[in-house]
Amino acid sequence: MPPYRTGKHNKRPPPDGFEDIEDTLLEFQNKMKDAENASHEGKKKYEMLWPIFQITHQRSRYIYDLYYEKEAISKTLYDWLLKNGYADANLIAKWKKQGYEKLCCSRCIQTKETNFNSTCICRVPKNQLQEGQNVQCVNCGCRGCSSAD
Amino acid sequence: MTSLPPKPGVTSLPPLAPGWTEHKAPSGHTYYFHKETKKSTYVRPAAQPPQTKHNPFSLPAPGTAQNGFQAGNYNYSAQQQNPFANNPFAPPQQQQNPFSNNPFAPPQQNPFATNTFAPPQQGLHHGNAQQHPRGGSRGDHHNFPERRKQPEDRPKHRHDIPNCAPWVLVKTKLGRRFVWNKETNESFWKFPQDVMIAVVEFDRLEREKKEWKKRGELEEKEEDAPVAALVEAVTPNSHPKEPETEPVAEGDEVGGDSEYEEVEVTDDEEEEVENASKKLRTADPSEDQPLEMGEDDIAWQLAAMEEEGYAEEEEEEGLPLTEEDCKALFRDLLEDARVNPYHTWEKILEDGILFEDDRYKALPTMKARKECWDEWARDKIHILKEMKAKQEKKDPRVPYMAFLHKYATPKLYWPEFRRKYKKEPEMKDTKLSDKDREKWYREHINRLKLPQLTLKSDLSALLKAQHISALNRSTTLDTLPSSVLSDIRFISLPSSVRDPLVQTYISTLPAAPENAAQSAEEEAEAAKKRVERGRRERALAERERRVKEDQRKQRRDLEYGKSRLREGEEELQRAMNVGKGGLRAQLSAAQDE
Repeated sequence: MPPYRTGKHNKRPPPDGFEDIEDTLLEFQNKMKDAENASHEGKKKYEMLWPIFQITHQRSRYIYDLYYEKEAISKTLYDWLLKNGYADANLIAKWKKQGYEKLCCSRCIQTKETNFNSTCICRVPKNQLQEGQNVQCVNCGCRGCSSAD
Repeated sequence: MTSLPPKPGVTSLPPLAPGWTEHKAPSGHTYYFHKETKKSTYVRPAAQPPQTKHNPFSLPAPGTAQNGFQAGNYNYSAQQQNPFANNPFAPPQQQQNPFSNNPFAPPQQNPFATNTFAPPQQGLHHGNAQQHPRGGSRGDHHNFPERRKQPEDRPKHRHDIPNCAPWVLVKTKLGRRFVWNKETNESFWKFPQDVMIAVVEFDRLEREKKEWKKRGELEEKEEDAPVAALVEAVTPNSHPKEPETEPVAEGDEVGGDSEYEEVEVTDDEEEEVENASKKLRTADPSEDQPLEMGEDDIAWQLAAMEEEGYAEEEEEEGLPLTEEDCKALFRDLLEDARVNPYHTWEKILEDGILFEDDRYKALPTMKARKECWDEWARDKIHILKEMKAKQEKKDPRVPYMAFLHKYATPKLYWPEFRRKYKKEPEMKDTKLSDKDREKWYREHINRLKLPQLTLKSDLSALLKAQHISALNRSTTLDTLPSSVLSDIRFISLPSSVRDPLVQTYISTLPAAPENAAQSAEEEAEAAKKRVERGRRERALAERERRVKEDQRKQRRDLEYGKSRLREGEEELQRAMNVGKGGLRAQLSAAQDE
């Protein structure tokens, strides 16, 4: 039987620099909790997931910016954050690729899940949409995340 | 005041009580005025006195019935005990149900009842005029069968006054303004003191907004719609219902200026109004708040500028505000607002700390601001990092040792001690491992059992081992180096014994070695930065001034063009005006000129 680990004394402390971003991450956590507990009254089933996706995206973007753009956090802290689920590593991996800089969620580029083997409507650049066409995708409520926008 | 001849009452009615006179309101209602008590009422005061008691109002001003405000409000009750229950001009404490549906219950100080018709030569003070709403001068108009129709006024725009929550500024159709308290339902033409300040501020904002609109219509293209919505309150562009603050009908009926005072509205008695408003100005010259520009104001300003000459316009080109300066201004703002560089941009916008400042508008678009913010945050974080690296690391052992010194006793085993104090932050600190904690606890308990002499010698050995730069005569008990504080030998003695020992040891030490020279360079750098910053701020102010100047110039040009046009027209008119005198008369006229 593996050792039963619990309590604070077994936990490794987070790497240095975590205390700087702790407040913001807590805020994101609270927002996420609110979104999880929000009422479903009058909403479509898929609409319930939109805020979840949105907050995940924002939090991932925050950590991505801190590490890659502002170089504010260390590699160890970044890895620790990814490991502990503060950011979506797969999504960040996409952001590093050309053409995917603003990708909203990884589900929106899953071509195999759609009938015509295409990406989500939110991936279409604004100038290729019809005049005055407003899109909001079903997966995550994204209104357009093409890099050309 | 000349008293007016009392109009004979209708014969069928009972005679009036002594002192009362009967008058006809412009709306056609008959009302009664008592000259001594200054009371007036719609209820006919018969000879028996108790009737008059029904009228609790001292300031009736029924002459205001022509006012458009109350047009919909007249639903007299059958008994007409209190004619003013329905009168919006009743004093505010009397305002009850009739007003619940009328948000624009007009002000209590009735501007319509003031000296609209009182010839200004009488030098009536305003308050005074209100006291005599049925002034004799008014009587002249009574006998006119068809009164000149008063322009109908009604509320047109409504603005919230910032920082003055329940008060709302209402603009009427004729361009006059009054304030209305949403909660208490009070309204005044004459602004109360605190509201006045807020309104002046509001006007300033409005003017700035207009200027910005003129200046930056092109450059303002907000990218992020949600953010733009957030900032809308401050950024000048795209205000959807940008209220038109110019008087609706200029020069026609309103005397343009002095909008903080009550303004009378007449159709043709322009001169009187002019006089009145001028009188107002001279009456309290201290009123130098920014007023809205009426045409005569502009003219006056133009005249003033003519006197000044154009000399100053040439030297305005100094202190240019470059793009870098704008950025630097915004960065200064971020610096001053003590924004946390680790926050997200959205969070900062939500908090709304930046909007108040003028420097927020140094950058024209939201995109530029965000870029600037990103840059600033990056730099700031790096600076913070360097500072942290320079700072000596706070040893996590220090608070734990202090904690042990306070609470550890030989009576408790480690598991007991841990269980007892598990809620304490020192025991939860993740920087220390539990094993270390246990080890130090056991060691400390073991040392407590040693004789005090050994402990004392240990402590002195510890103190002697410190370097002179860390521990010298200027150190106090609170500023001991962490190498001392985190040592197990330091906490073994109770503080009543230990502190005097340490203090005596410190007093024997020499002073700290000198090393203050290094800071001179840093100081110079800081001074340089300060100078830079002052220059940028001055440049921003300069830019604002220049824009204002430009506007004034433009206005003057317009004025000039208009006058030229008028002159031309007049000339034409003169030329067209061929008299009967024939050619000779014309020629002689030309010669005269």
